[in-house]
Amino acid sequence: MDPPPLIAMERMLHQLVSLGTEMDALLLDQTMERMYGLLRSCLPDSPVYADAFLSADFSSPGGGGGGSGAVEDRISALPDEILRDVISRLPAKDAARTAALSSRWRPLWRSAPLVLVDTLLVPDEGSLSLSREAESAAAVAAVSRILETHPGPFRSVDLANGAMDAHRAELARWFYLLAVKGVEELVFVNRPFPLDLPLPPAIFSLASVRRLHLAVWRFPNTADLPRGAAFPHLRELGLGCVVMEDRDLDFVLARSPVLETLVFHSSQKQVNLRIVSSSLWCVQLCMCIVQEVSVVDAPRLERLFLWETAGDRVGTRVKFGYAPNLQAVGFLVPGVHVLEIGDAVIKVGTKATPKTVLPSVKILALKVHFRVRNEARMLPSFLRCFPSVEALHIQSEKDDQPTGTLSHKFWQEACRTECVQSHIREIVFHEYRGKRSELAFLKFVLENAEALQQMTIVLANGTFSSGVAEAAKLMKDLSYVKRASESCNLVVLESSNFEGGSFWCCQAAFDFSVTDPFYYCYTVY
Amino acid sequence: MASAGSGDEKAAAAAMITLISSDNEKFEVTEATATLSQTIRHMIEDGCTDGGVPLPNVTSKILARVIEYCKKHATAAAGEEGSSSSFSDAAFLEVDRAFLEELEEFDDAFLEVDRATLFDLILAANYLDIKGLLNLTCQKVADSVKGKTPEQIREMYNIVNDLTPEEEAEIRRETQWAFE
Repeated sequence: MDPPPLIAMERMLHQLVSLGTEMDALLLDQTMERMYGLLRSCLPDSPVYADAFLSADFSSPGGGGGGSGAVEDRISALPDEILRDVISRLPAKDAARTAALSSRWRPLWRSAPLVLVDTLLVPDEGSLSLSREAESAAAVAAVSRILETHPGPFRSVDLANGAMDAHRAELARWFYLLAVKGVEELVFVNRPFPLDLPLPPAIFSLASVRRLHLAVWRFPNTADLPRGAAFPHLRELGLGCVVMEDRDLDFVLARSPVLETLVFHSSQKQVNLRIVSSSLWCVQLCMCIVQEVSVVDAPRLERLFLWETAGDRVGTRVKFGYAPNLQAVGFLVPGVHVLEIGDAVIKVGTKATPKTVLPSVKILALKVHFRVRNEARMLPSFLRCFPSVEALHIQSEKDDQPTGTLSHKFWQEACRTECVQSHIREIVFHEYRGKRSELAFLKFVLENAEALQQMTIVLANGTFSSGVAEAAKLMKDLSYVKRASESCNLVVLESSNFEGGSFWCCQAAFDFSVTDPFYYCYTVY
Repeated sequence: MASAGSGDEKAAAAAMITLISSDNEKFEVTEATATLSQTIRHMIEDGCTDGGVPLPNVTSKILARVIEYCKKHATAAAGEEGSSSSFSDAAFLEVDRAFLEELEEFDDAFLEVDRATLFDLILAANYLDIKGLLNLTCQKVADSVKGKTPEQIREMYNIVNDLTPEEEAEIRRETQWAFE
């Protein structure tokens, strides 16, 4: 579930590209599997699964039947609609085989919307003996036959098993079939090599697609597309490990009038994202090198998330234009990210004016290098830009080259911002490592945050020999602080991520019912 | 109704509905429990629940099970509404998680029924339009046929194969990939 930091992905890509086919085949397979796992963490869950989680053992004759029900054929007496529902919950092979049960069942598979997951087409025992190439070829052949046989509609098609470079003719035919048979949800991951196989421009013919996730492709050049190319029904778009020009991303946003959620992850190129959309609600950028993300005109945008975007190497510019409904933002990195609001670049000492604040934001997440002075000094300036924040997440970052600790006095003088003093109700301090600089900040918050109801401190996993002892020590240290809010509840817990660092859960971020996805950063979902 | 204060809301939550099974047994349930059924929700909205709701398609044995399911899941729904009213704090998330796990265990145990009951539950969930229960029971049936051959499925569910050998051969030929 946990996406390791970008560096792992980047190193892996370089390794793959440089070694190419000279690499030992087995090692290559393993590396690819790992990369695939990373990509999968940003993709939606498969609509069907192979295992029978709800165990049902009716296999003995009359198994558990009891009475006369044991010999009756109750299942075939169920309404068509219910039998189709059951069939749509099966892997494609199991589903199609039901046509051979009896004349009652014969037409049902064809009349039930197709749900196809290609990784379930090749039997498990096969994958051990088959080479990756053979497994891919077998899956491609099976997918071709299923897409040809089933009349549609295609409710959900999840293709992640084909190395499509060797199957370009099939690729073209599939897009034709997906378009004419009305695919609604499509996940399509190409298995390398290469990493930049051109995605057919026919992707724009999928007029009925509502949810689309593409990974490991070169996105088509949209300048060559016919006028009117668009995704009229697209609501959710995921682009992973793609090579894509900025103008093509602009084009997709402009031609997707009902797009609500966008996740851009593990991009092969540096990303410049300009958000101009009257429908987008949530945008996520994960494990990419982001040069700039600019919220230009996004009246409905409520959530903007950046996760492991390697801002420390390129100094990502994060610009806010028109985003009147923005509610949750993070992780921003003070002193590393360059924050711009309207025309103003936020610097140390930038005063809060109506033009330099985003008062709609209620949930803010920041990553702070507390022991890198120049970065930590920017924290107050960032907080001033978000005066109405009620839930603040601060993630303490590991400092490889500490340059000094900011004192309690610094925070008292520089950081008594409106949000700290009057609005913050909850603060979560992620990845606490027991440094003086961290403690100074926490004390400052307790002393000044008058509306604070809950402070949660999450100990970095593996930092302390005894989390319990550290928690007790921390509680004691903080017990001497004169709290601005007497009703504040203090909780110390340890992150459940054994590999260290924090998580990101793309699915939680997309979930309307999850008010604050940053809570999922330290606990396995 | 819309401007109900907290006192009125409590009163509404405690409002009772009488459900009457096909064998004329009466069940008193809260409105919150009953309205997990879209069918009953519509009846309440139309104001035709006075004197009880007759359910001629559901026996008392099955209705009792359905009510058991609805009670459990109505509590869950109430809990969720409570948490979304404010920022879910960390402690709440833990409670939520524990509750979800408990709910999953409940569902698993709930499905430990014989085949006849399972089909009765499916039909009741369909008739009463209880989405969660229909999903759960259909998934149970789907899981029971996964990885099985048509012969095994026929035997398990007493399905009589009325296809001629020619017809069956044709089906197998058309979807040969499914039988490999």
